[in-house]
This record gives sequence, structure tokens and C-alpha cells, in this order.
Amino acid sequence: MSGVAPHDKNVDHAVIRVAANVSIMVDAAVRLLSLLNQLAASTRRVVLEFENMDGAMGYLNRIRFFELLSSDVVVKPRRPSVSMGALRKGQSAGLVELERINYGARAKRLPTKLAERLGEACSERTDEKELTDAAFTVFSEIIDNVYSHVYEERQNELDGFVALQVYKNGNTAKVVVSDSGKGILHTLRPTLTDAKLQRLSDTELVVEIFRQGLSRHGNNRGCGLKASADSAIKYKTQLDVRLPNCVVHLIPARGTYEANTAYCRENMPLLWGTHLCFDFRLGN
Amino acid sequence: MNAVKQNWVEIRLRELMTLPDGWGVEEGREVYHKLLGRVEAHPEASVFRVSLGGVRRTDVSFPRESVIELAHRFRAQKGFCLWDVSDENLVENWDAAALKREQPLFVWSRKGCRLLGPKPSAGLRKVLDFALEHDVITTTQVASHFRWTTSNASNKLRALADSGYVLRREQTAPTGGIEYIYQRVR
Repeated sequence: MSGVAPHDKNVDHAVIRVAANVSIMVDAAVRLLSLLNQLAASTRRVVLEFENMDGAMGYLNRIRFFELLSSDVVVKPRRPSVSMGALRKGQSAGLVELERINYGARAKRLPTKLAERLGEACSERTDEKELTDAAFTVFSEIIDNVYSHVYEERQNELDGFVALQVYKNGNTAKVVVSDSGKGILHTLRPTLTDAKLQRLSDTELVVEIFRQGLSRHGNNRGCGLKASADSAIKYKTQLDVRLPNCVVHLIPARGTYEANTAYCRENMPLLWGTHLCFDFRLGN
Repeated sequence: MNAVKQNWVEIRLRELMTLPDGWGVEEGREVYHKLLGRVEAHPEASVFRVSLGGVRRTDVSFPRESVIELAHRFRAQKGFCLWDVSDENLVENWDAAALKREQPLFVWSRKGCRLLGPKPSAGLRKVLDFALEHDVITTTQVASHFRWTTSNASNKLRALADSGYVLRREQTAPTGGIEYIYQRVR
């Protein structure tokens, strides 16, 4: 696959190899899962090959990765015979295993579960209750946004995913919300009527989506992402936004997300959807 | 349970929700229809006191699609206000929702009231403050209190009603003509 991206139209066979000494963080795991399912759905032959069955494969099994991976993806040396994620679901304090976001099966308790697990991880903070409540707002708005996209893009039958992982040594908790839709910029740009907004770069537009609450549905909607960002910013939460061809990393500054403190990488290999990763600090 | 006293009805929002945490457009719309059923069941009531007792958390979309959407639909005819709100995070999210829908919403407690959503201009604010001190007021009372012309007082009250800060109703004046009275949402 070197030199070409997996979604390139000339690629009909993709092999992704995971070395023995590799650790995979939860945000990378969720993006990998989305990519593999997208490739499999586009009728490519896809192989996920591990050098051994411990390490990264063990972690992916613990977070239910293989349960949610398309059955069309070939896993080598072999798929785990037992899902440790299903077996031990909810038993680790620092983990919310991967959950599917599918409009037909709305998980009503999911934002509460994520927020409370984050609150437990931050129990040493003096503002644990406020953080838990703010996190509930963040997760519910973002997850609801994904449900809305899945519903509106009826042609898209791929699931979205949510997961949470606490990294005590890194003093952080990562919460990932991911969908395989068209991506927020692709759906928003054609609906913009304001000339100033039309001229914004991708990075600047992503910032404005979270700062102003821009919505393709007009002024009465769009408060979801803004509300989510407003709540996240109070706790100095960094936000990584992977879009089909770019990634924007937002760092709070002066109580908001700003374009001049955002990092952007463009011309990334195609990955359909909007993939968000919130980085919450565990300590005050 | 709904308790009918005078012309207001209490609705306990928690009874219309699946869980103590409310979120999302879909659940908001489900609750909107349940609320609408309660409103239609009480045509005599002009004010609906929505109690948030037992509601632990909500996001912004849920209140926007439920209570605030209903308040917007019945603006100036029927009023909706909140009671039993103790959590500041709840207040922030309901305020953001009210701002987004441009629909004022009062939160009442024994200590007084708090306005969520858009704020009136300074000129209208003092009329609103006066209105909030009384169950109902008339144009004549406002004109007399602020030493304004009746026309000026009438315009300001009309503006407050049109923007959803007070309710406006007709009644027969002592002279036999039609007089408007303005009712606070409480």
C-alpha cells in the first residue's frame, strides 16, 4: 500500500500490518475500525495482520474492536475466539468499551455512562460533579449529532462508534466519537450563504462550527456542537477533528477555540466521516 | 400529577422522560408531543409551570426541542416557566437553548425569578420588571407608574408580549370597550 491511500480508486486489496511492539491508543483504534469497515463496504479485499496476538491485538479485543469489525475483513493470524470486551464489559474503571452508534438502536444511557466514567476517573478533582455534568453535555450533543447524520444520510449504512479510555500516566482521558458520514465540512459548505464564511479555510471553518454553532439546517439548529465545545472548553479540553482529508487539532485559548491556536494537517489520506477525540485532563 | 390552581397547571417534566438525563433532538421531540397533549388537555390554563424536579441533567438540544419549542409555538397566548431548578449546569444549558430559539423563559423559585434566553432592551426591561411584580397589569397602570403617554406604554407592553416576555389578553374595560391586560408568566 506504500505510496497510495487505501481509498484510492485503483486499490482493490488493502493489507494493514500491526507490528509486535506497537501500542494503539483508543482514538487511533476507532479510526482504524472506521477505515477498515469503510474499505470492506466498498468491496475491497481487506486484511488486518498482526505480528502476534498479544499487545495491540489484546487491547483491541478488550475494547470490542473485533466484534464491531466487518466480517468481510480478514484478520491474521486469526480473529480472537472470545471477545474480552464482551466478557469484561463495564468492569474496568478507566474504560468504556466501543459502542455502536446506530439510529435503529439508540443507546439512551450512553452519554450518562461516558460522563460518569469520566467523573470517576477525575474523582480527585474538586469540580468532579461540574465536570461530569459538562461532559454529559459534550457527549450527548456529539452523539446526537452522529445519530442525526446517520438518519439523514440514509445511503450510509455504516455505524458510528464511541469509546472512552483513561490514561492515568498521561493524566488524560480520551473520548472518541466517530462516524463514517460525509464529514461536517462536506455537508456544511454547500449550504453556506454568508460570503465571509464561504471564504474560510477548512481549519477556520471547523473552528467556527464549534464556536458559532454553524448548521446546514439554519439558525434554529447547530447549537449541539457549540454547546459541546462550550462545555469542553471550561475544562481546557483539547479536541482533535479528523475529517475526510484533513485533521484539525483545537487547543482552548482565551475561553474559546481559535484558528490561530489550531494545528491543521491537510492532504491526509481519505477517511470518510467526522472523527472527534476529546482530551480531558484528569487533574485540576 | 397535574394540579390545577387558578389558571396555571403544573407539569412534572421527569414524568414525560425515560431517564433522569434528557438528551438529543429525538427525545426532545417525543417529550414535545407529550407536553402538547398536556396543554391541549387544559384549554382553560394560560400558564404551565414545568417542574424540573427529578431531572438530573439535560443537554441543550433536548430543552430546545421540547419545552422551549412549545413555548415558542404558544408565544403570547400561553406561558411556560420553570420551577424546581437547582442545578447551575441545567440552567446554563436551558439558557443556551432559549437563546438559540430566541424564546424567553423564566425560572421561578421562592427567592424570585431569573430570565433565560434573550434579554429585553433597557427600555423594555423596566416595564418587564414592573410586570413581574404583579399578576396582571394594564396599559393605564404602566402609563401612570412611569408617567408615560398611554400610547407609549401600550407599545412597550405590546412589544413585550410579541417577544414572549408576558401574555396578552382581552377583557372588557369599565367603559364597555376592549382593554388588554398583560399577565406575567408565573
